[in-house]
Amino acid sequence: MDEYALGVLTNVGLFSFLALSAYLLLVAGEMSFGQQAFFGVGAYAAGIGTAMWGWPLPVAALAAMALGAAAAWLVGLPTLRLRGLYFAMATLAAAEMFRILFELVHYQRTIDGELVGPDGTQGFRGIRWVLERGIEQETFLAAVWALVLLVLGAFALVERSRLGATLRMVGEDPELAAVLGVNVARVKLGVAAAAGALAALGGALYAHHNTYVEPRNFDIMLGVHSLAYALIGGLGTALGPLLGVALDIGLLESTRVFQGYRMIVFGGLVALLLIVRPRGLLDELTVNRVAAALRRRRTA
Amino acid sequence: MLRTLLAAALAALAAPALGQRLAADVDCKPTQHDLVYDCRIALKEAASRKPVAGADVSVGADMPSMPMAHNVRPVKAKPAKEPGLYTARLELEMYGEWALKLNVRSPVRDVIVKKIDFRERP
Amino acid sequence: MLVDVVQNTLDGLMLGSAYALLALGFTLIFGVLRRANLAYGPAIMLGAYAATWVNLQFHPGVLVLAAVTIAGATLAGTYVERLCFAPHGRRGAGDAAAIASMVGSFALWMQLEEAATLWLPKHLYGFPPLYDGPPLGLGPLTLRVEYLAMLACAAAACFGLHRLLNRTRFGLAVRAVVDQADAARLAGINVPRVFMLVFALASALGGLAGYLIVAAHEQVTPMLGMWSTLKGMIAMMLGGLGSLPGAVVGGLALGLIESHSQWLFGPQYRDLIAFLILFALLAVRPSGLWAMLRRSPAPAP
Repeated sequence: MDEYALGVLTNVGLFSFLALSAYLLLVAGEMSFGQQAFFGVGAYAAGIGTAMWGWPLPVAALAAMALGAAAAWLVGLPTLRLRGLYFAMATLAAAEMFRILFELVHYQRTIDGELVGPDGTQGFRGIRWVLERGIEQETFLAAVWALVLLVLGAFALVERSRLGATLRMVGEDPELAAVLGVNVARVKLGVAAAAGALAALGGALYAHHNTYVEPRNFDIMLGVHSLAYALIGGLGTALGPLLGVALDIGLLESTRVFQGYRMIVFGGLVALLLIVRPRGLLDELTVNRVAAALRRRRTA
Repeated sequence: MLRTLLAAALAALAAPALGQRLAADVDCKPTQHDLVYDCRIALKEAASRKPVAGADVSVGADMPSMPMAHNVRPVKAKPAKEPGLYTARLELEMYGEWALKLNVRSPVRDVIVKKIDFRERP
Repeated sequence: MLVDVVQNTLDGLMLGSAYALLALGFTLIFGVLRRANLAYGPAIMLGAYAATWVNLQFHPGVLVLAAVTIAGATLAGTYVERLCFAPHGRRGAGDAAAIASMVGSFALWMQLEEAATLWLPKHLYGFPPLYDGPPLGLGPLTLRVEYLAMLACAAAACFGLHRLLNRTRFGLAVRAVVDQADAARLAGINVPRVFMLVFALASALGGLAGYLIVAAHEQVTPMLGMWSTLKGMIAMMLGGLGSLPGAVVGGLALGLIESHSQWLFGPQYRDLIAFLILFALLAVRPSGLWAMLRRSPAPAP
């Protein structure tokens, strides 16, 4: 496969984790500008694990997910009472704090005669675990998408279950949920931690795909974009955020026709789209209609 | 699909290959067109500094803030006269700091990242 | 030592006046439309870029450049309003409309930024200063004239807005809409037109802020868009969402925090501390500094 196509497809997969992370919080009723922080935490944690401590990638990725969940929990706890723009700004502030912390961390080791490790604003180079094992780009792509599909499967299971109904209820009407006996605080923290872990997994894979990360990779733009992907793709299904990522990175990025004008086209299209579809492309209404049509087809 | 997963799992648990690391020096000069640069790449083995000839290198670029936003399609670097030297023409979308990614597929698989600040002509 | 503290405080107030002006426009939109406009900064940037272009071609005077910036920002802002906010209906029509407007404004943020950088692609453009002379000296302290102008403008804007909202018919209409949009509509007020005019006013204020800022820095960069939106939002949240005096208080507070943090801990920690304080404030007292100062609860989020 053409190298560029490989790169684009891999990036669509990687950023899907981030978009799904924002989506999960949105379903539970919170708008976060800060998921990129956990993407970064995952990237740095996994990078340090494999490049500096010699861990295999799966172990480092799991550790990264745990760290991402913990960080998200730490951010979620003081912000439980906040809604709407207040919560969004709090997550933005927290994310920028994380990014500045990445700029301040200097932790390097000499491995094979070369300095490896995060070096503040200079970034973290030498995350070569994938290269050292001779893993082909195609194989990595397959692994990333296998994980994405796994996550989508998990989302599908949750959607059908009681947990999924609880999450959506907490998102739409927390007071009602509380009255019905749901521990809203616990649900929100759980969702925050899960979203953090998801973003961290994406970050861990991203670091190994690029072999180099720096704090600027995880700035506000990334966060606002991932939120936008979820909102544009639609909140009716976990496929929505994927669609958002695919539309921006996949479709528009690779069509050279729009070189230099990509954002003008994309921005205009999105604004127009939202007029007719304020809840995104695959919103709840569309998803329900499709599900009903499929059910009718089956019983017919 | 299952086979690639198994391969990936086995590769993950396998012992690390001895890193045949490469290093590169990159020098990009502006051309008569704005935002178009001619880059010369000197590819060598990291340990011995021996030039690496006949490599399959492609050069891509990305801006660090907002990955994928101004992504530049990778171009294959052409070998120059001396062994280990390659040239590539880059067309960027914006001035600023870019992270160039040298993707080497043969003789050794490696990825080298070089940060270069592309400024407009004064 | 004391001189340093006073100088830093003065610097902070002057820096903060820029933030206060930015926050005023942002707050006006949020206070009246109850929506966040992420394209606020980019609209200002487009105004500043227009002025830069005019400067490159004609080298006109200060007033012309200011007028061009304000006009450009207002035009860009009105474009954003028409495309992202007007179609999404009434104030308080539910979260979905608010979020859709915000995401739309994000999309236009990207669009306006790209348009600006396509128009003038360089990383940095010089901009003629407002005042071409040495800073004022007050004993051991220095005061920059441009920043004094900004402080004066922020105060004038706050005062002017207060008069507008409380002493004019338009202001009455705005207050009616803020209070109860449906009742205002029933009383015959053209609510969409009120929104459009408020948005234009906010964008014009932003344009003024933008002009003063680029004249004070004597340069224009593509970072202006995101920087303005970010500082405006932070100042607004610090002061108290949707409150005009809060915007000024928040802006000045942000300036003070940044100035003192930088002096005490260095530039790397400056933003860290500002964000830390914002986060802590939101966690503990989301109603903001102005409400804290008045010891009265601001409207619930």
